[in-house]
Amino acid sequence: MAWLRTAELCRYYTRGSQEIRAVDRVDLEIERGEFIVVVGASGSGKSTLLNLAAGLDRPTAGHIEVGGERLDRLSRRELSRYRARKVGMVFQSFNLLPHHTALKNVEMALYFNGTPRRERRAQAHEMLERLGLGDRVDHRPGDLSGGEQQRVAIARALVKRPEMICADEPTGNLDEENSRSIVDLLVELNREDLTVLAVTHDTDMARRAASRILRMHYGRVTSDTSTPESSGGRP
Amino acid sequence: MTLHDLVDLSIGSLWRIKLRAFLTIAGVVIAIATFVAMLSFAAGNQKWVARAYSELGLLTRINVTPKEKSAAAATHSPAGSQRETSSGAAPAGTTKAAVLDEGAVRALARIPGVQLAYPFVEFDVTASVADTQVTTKARALSLEAMRLKPYSTFMNGAVFSSEDAGEAVVTSEFLKQIGLDRGEALIGQNLILSTRVASLDSAMAGVMGTPVVELRNLLRTVRLDSLRYAAYRQGILRRELGNRAGRFLDGLLNHQMTVADTLRIIAVGKKMDEYQVPISPVIVPEETARRFASAGIGLSSDPSDLLTAIQSGSLFSPRGGGDAGTYPRVTLEVEPRASHEAVIDSVEALGFKAFSFASEFKNIQRFFIYYYAGLSVIGLIALATAALGIANTMIMSITERRREIGILKSLGADEREIQLTFLVESGTIGAVGAVIGIGLGWVGTRIVALVMEAVMKREEMPVFDPFSLPVWLILVALLFGVAVSVAAGAYPARRAARVDPVEALRGE
Repeated sequence: MAWLRTAELCRYYTRGSQEIRAVDRVDLEIERGEFIVVVGASGSGKSTLLNLAAGLDRPTAGHIEVGGERLDRLSRRELSRYRARKVGMVFQSFNLLPHHTALKNVEMALYFNGTPRRERRAQAHEMLERLGLGDRVDHRPGDLSGGEQQRVAIARALVKRPEMICADEPTGNLDEENSRSIVDLLVELNREDLTVLAVTHDTDMARRAASRILRMHYGRVTSDTSTPESSGGRP
Repeated sequence: MTLHDLVDLSIGSLWRIKLRAFLTIAGVVIAIATFVAMLSFAAGNQKWVARAYSELGLLTRINVTPKEKSAAAATHSPAGSQRETSSGAAPAGTTKAAVLDEGAVRALARIPGVQLAYPFVEFDVTASVADTQVTTKARALSLEAMRLKPYSTFMNGAVFSSEDAGEAVVTSEFLKQIGLDRGEALIGQNLILSTRVASLDSAMAGVMGTPVVELRNLLRTVRLDSLRYAAYRQGILRRELGNRAGRFLDGLLNHQMTVADTLRIIAVGKKMDEYQVPISPVIVPEETARRFASAGIGLSSDPSDLLTAIQSGSLFSPRGGGDAGTYPRVTLEVEPRASHEAVIDSVEALGFKAFSFASEFKNIQRFFIYYYAGLSVIGLIALATAALGIANTMIMSITERRREIGILKSLGADEREIQLTFLVESGTIGAVGAVIGIGLGWVGTRIVALVMEAVMKREEMPVFDPFSLPVWLILVALLFGVAVSVAAGAYPARRAARVDPVEALRGE
């Protein structure tokens, strides 16, 4: 049975009198450890699908199940716990807290998953070291380059040892070199049995990293292509 | 998320909006300072009253006074049948009005729960110490009464060596009269007390006059040829009796004899101006005081005393060692655990009026509850204004921190944790404001107390501190500060908790 499964998954918005079908009857199955890249035009519903998988948003209809847990049936509190323990999120604009240091930003991901206070700092430090930011722990986001900020964001997503990374345009604000570096990092993490669900416009990323590429159009998955030749996803 | 994390996050957030947080906290500071100052004033007055009652020993005291004559007549006897008895007290239901005499004192002392009954005996004296002489009042007190408050409190523990010792205690009132500020130097000095007492000698001298002159004057006025008429003789007799009675009274009241005694001052009372309670300037042992009275017929120059003595038929009764007339008041010292109500019932059954200070104290305490409530309302209005400031700050903060809230939610923060973060933030504003406000309120009351003290001294008013900052007030102010702030932050915190993370993150 698939690790992530959706059936007739819908997410509709109402704006004024207009109904927007951001995700419309999506059926999807993703195995654990896959590197899924979702591509499509702006407004096609990629980010909404990602938010639904990350437990940030709730479906209007249909169901979504991750690791045997029906997200559409979870209470708001249970959904928060799901986000705190099972999913790490990476955003295009990094979404680091500008007033805190890199270390504190990473440490904060452990505030909500029950990690004992005394262990948090060490784990955050270790994760930043692993991502090559050992000498940047006390820097605030404003003092870091875009690539470094995204690494801090990835460290924050990884530090709680999630089962899945949901990345929304992770290379969208980076130059080519930094983009390549971030994609390599995600590929490396995926090799360690981490499921990656990434939304991107970056075709290079899709080509190099994805085990499957989903194409979305007006809220629907219009194609689902496996890329066995990619350097990333294993299945 | 631990409390430590919450406080950590909240302080960090407040630090980022330093100026706004400072101004919001300033609002709380002013409100709490007002609240503290108001209630501190009530607490100070309550403390002062409680201390006065305690130090003056009023909580175990009942004052007994005779019933008003009209009331006594209405309740006890028809007009014309009022006569004092040797026992003084008139049991309820009898037709005799009760008077406070030695018999009554003994009857009052026998009431269960009464430790001691002692009468109020005060007389006019001329007191001389060193080169100073003043006309003042002396109070007679038994040794037992001297050991009670307020005397035990204000007399440095000194009591008379015996009931008839030639000793006296002077109080701060006496020092004021002779113009001394401190009286330690008076201890051991002689105090000459003299008083004028009415005596039968002076009264009879008035009646007799000079016999030869009196006889000649009488013969001049008598028409000898009319002596055969009984009516004329009765008229002369009546006139003569009237003249003699007038002279008797004149001799008794205006030609009194002076009795003097030299006493040694053994103690000087501490100042008790603060309580504004009248206390006799000179206190002498009971038996010593009685020596003054026994030299005469035990009457003061007050004509009402004479009238009472004539009415009661005790004018010519032997005085001194036995009954010493009637008293305006008798004080009962009640055992600490005795029921005042029961004692009052017994006193009233004897035909007297009773006044319990403990009951009055209860009423005063009740009044203070309203006093606190009234002053609290003013303080709370100030606090409510500060609460609006907090709510405003928190709402602005949420608007500015939507992205942060979104990020925290994406990291797994649930609504409760977000809500708590903001509540702790508003609570921190309240706690910091309350702590500083309590300090400011205290400083404010100290300044006002100093100014008031200076004014009281200048106006020669009794000086006391009208403010008090008890621990309970500190805790209440702290609690109010935090509670009102948290309440003010409740709505913004709920709004923060409801922020949609998708919307918040999309905004970026």
